[in-house]
Amino acid sequence: MSSVDLRVEIAGLELANPVMTASGTFASGREFADFVDLSRLGAIVTKGVSLVPWEGNPSPRMAETASGMLNSIGLQNPGVEAFRERDLAWLAGSVPGLPVIVNVSGHDLAGYVGVIEALEDEPGVSGYELNISCPNVDAGGMAFGTDCAAAAEVTAACRAVTARPLIVKLSPNVTDIVSVARSVEAAGADAVSLINTLLGMAIDTSSFRPKLARVVGGLSGPAIKPVAVRMVWQVASAVEIPVIGMGGIMTADDAIEFMLAGATAVAVGTANFVDPTSTVRIVDGLAEFCHAHGVGCVSDLVGAVDVS
Amino acid sequence: MTTGHDCACAHRAVPPALENVTVVANERLAEGVGLLVLDAPRAASSVAPGQFVHLRVARGADFLLRRPFSVHRAHGERIEILYQVLGTGTRALADKAPGDRMDLLGPLGTGWSIPEGIAHALLVAGGLGAAPLGMLAEELAGRGVAVTVAAGAPCEERLIGRELFERVARRFVPATDDGSCGARGLVTGVCEPLLAEGSFDMVYTCGPEVMQRIVAVQSASADVPCQVSLERLMACGIGACLSCVVRTTRGVRRACVDGPVFPAEEVLWDPAESPDTH
Ligand SMILES: Cc1cc2nc3c(=O)[nH]c(=O)nc-3n(C[C@H](O)[C@H](O)[C@H](O)COP(=O)(O)OP(=O)(O)OC[C@H]3O[C@@H](n4cnc5c(N)ncnc54)[C@H](O)[C@@H]3O)c2cc1C
Ligand SMILES: Cc1cc2nc3c(=O)[nH]c(=O)nc-3n(C[C@H](O)[C@H](O)[C@H](O)COP(=O)(O)O)c2cc1C
Ligand code: FES
Repeated sequence: MSSVDLRVEIAGLELANPVMTASGTFASGREFADFVDLSRLGAIVTKGVSLVPWEGNPSPRMAETASGMLNSIGLQNPGVEAFRERDLAWLAGSVPGLPVIVNVSGHDLAGYVGVIEALEDEPGVSGYELNISCPNVDAGGMAFGTDCAAAAEVTAACRAVTARPLIVKLSPNVTDIVSVARSVEAAGADAVSLINTLLGMAIDTSSFRPKLARVVGGLSGPAIKPVAVRMVWQVASAVEIPVIGMGGIMTADDAIEFMLAGATAVAVGTANFVDPTSTVRIVDGLAEFCHAHGVGCVSDLVGAVDVS
Repeated sequence: MTTGHDCACAHRAVPPALENVTVVANERLAEGVGLLVLDAPRAASSVAPGQFVHLRVARGADFLLRRPFSVHRAHGERIEILYQVLGTGTRALADKAPGDRMDLLGPLGTGWSIPEGIAHALLVAGGLGAAPLGMLAEELAGRGVAVTVAAGAPCEERLIGRELFERVARRFVPATDDGSCGARGLVTGVCEPLLAEGSFDMVYTCGPEVMQRIVAVQSASADVPCQVSLERLMACGIGACLSCVVRTTRGVRRACVDGPVFPAEEVLWDPAESPDTH
């Protein structure tokens, strides 16, 4: 199986394989070190980091639904300073050489830009992923990611302060994800990742109360995979920059679906909660698939879906 | 005396792992309550009182997450789990038969702290709250600590864990809603006079969160340190998803790794936060 070349390239960043972690589902890796040899990941994408600490939402923050789960964690994080001291230092010491993509959150432009500026001198950061699903307080709480102009604006502002790979993570809660993808591409994004969670809701029929304290939350897991594959296919067909696909990937076969739809790399999220070894299991499964199908380079799968 | 987690029973001495386990027995104890015995050598040899395991009770299209359960007892290569049937997952658990296999993630969490030098502990169990107190009672008794158990249930039949407690505790004080065993009323009703006796140097409690909160207040009034074990909805169980947070004087903490056991005085109680299913 050593004959299979699993390497892929995202915005000049070479990954040993296409399997990354989905932000917010893998913390900064430390919690998984008992289960996974982290050096075998293509890249680690950290939990969302903001300029100042965020407390997150009230509980309950999670509800299981058919083939998925709703969450309303609210991007709880200790802020970029603590992130640098604890998480980045740990990663640099424990898994040197592993590409680290920092997922960046903000409520306004200054928030996003501030996180990047605070990390520009950190050698342990390989790139950034902008989570533009956060509510934009300046624009009355509407998410940056649901408006083409706002998405382009935050992308351009971050592009102006970094030469590192800049990935913009798209929200599926829009009518036309392709136009948002095109807008961030034009504003200087090196890659796009999709999808973030789908807005959902669940109600407890015995109490008549919503299952989440915040009433609505983000749906993830196998339930959203067909939507995610469709969106990856649409976006990959419309932009020149690489696409990172995610949404319900549980197995190598799921990952291959995303690659065939046009994803250069994939991210594994909710699956980590069910089986903490999911990421490496999928890396192994990709190699086995390629071997069994006579695929020499995993990148040959990218966009190879036959829709004729 | 401190209730901090600085005790001899250092948690996480053994890191958690995935383990394939086999059902040895599954016994119905009362309506909707069962005792599951699992052959789980690794978990059995490494679990500390108050820790839990995350069980993949079923697999299938519409069943995704694991379910957290306290380890009630561990002996030899086996662990015992007390469960209450509530929904899909616990129904699947009730259907397990000897020989069935599952996978388990564990042992997880920070269990009870047993400070050196305590002489007499009060354990307060509300219903299935007896689950994480079983192993604790055995451990305390084994270390020569006197144990008194106060346990509450709707009726005698539902006094879960009674046999174990009667075996290892110096005193077992039941309370039932219908008066069929012990005092009539809530366990907090028997707890207060027990604390007034003034002989306890630690209180351990688990049960409905409202009950734990009252026990915490009663302990504080009696000037006895108290540890509580809190339930939160959990996805990962290993500290990554932040589903399970508890607000404390030391900030927002994760029930799955920093807990489920917390020193009562650190907890900022919020009735809206707990799943009040029991
Ligand atoms: C640390 C810890 C230890 C526990 N120990 C025990 C025990 O020893 N015995 C026992 O009977 N129960 C215990 N519970 C509660 C038990 O995990 C839930 O009752 C069980 O998950 C319900 O699953 P279900 O599929 O039957 O219910 P459903 O309502 O169908 O479950 C849906 C979702 O809600 C979650 N959930 C529902 N109720 C609870 C709850 N009360 N607490 C946490 N998650 C919940 C489930 O995990 C699942 O994700 C413990 C919970 C925690 C957090
Ligand atoms: C508990 C949880 C927390 C998440 N936190 C973040 C986050 O901080 N930033 C972000 O961009 N996406 C976050 N996401 C979205 C995931 O990264 C991913 O896009 C989504 O869950 C779909 O993938 P999945 O179905 O494999 O989980 C989170 C998802 C979950 C379930
Ligand atoms: S259950 Fe995921 S952090 Fe506690």
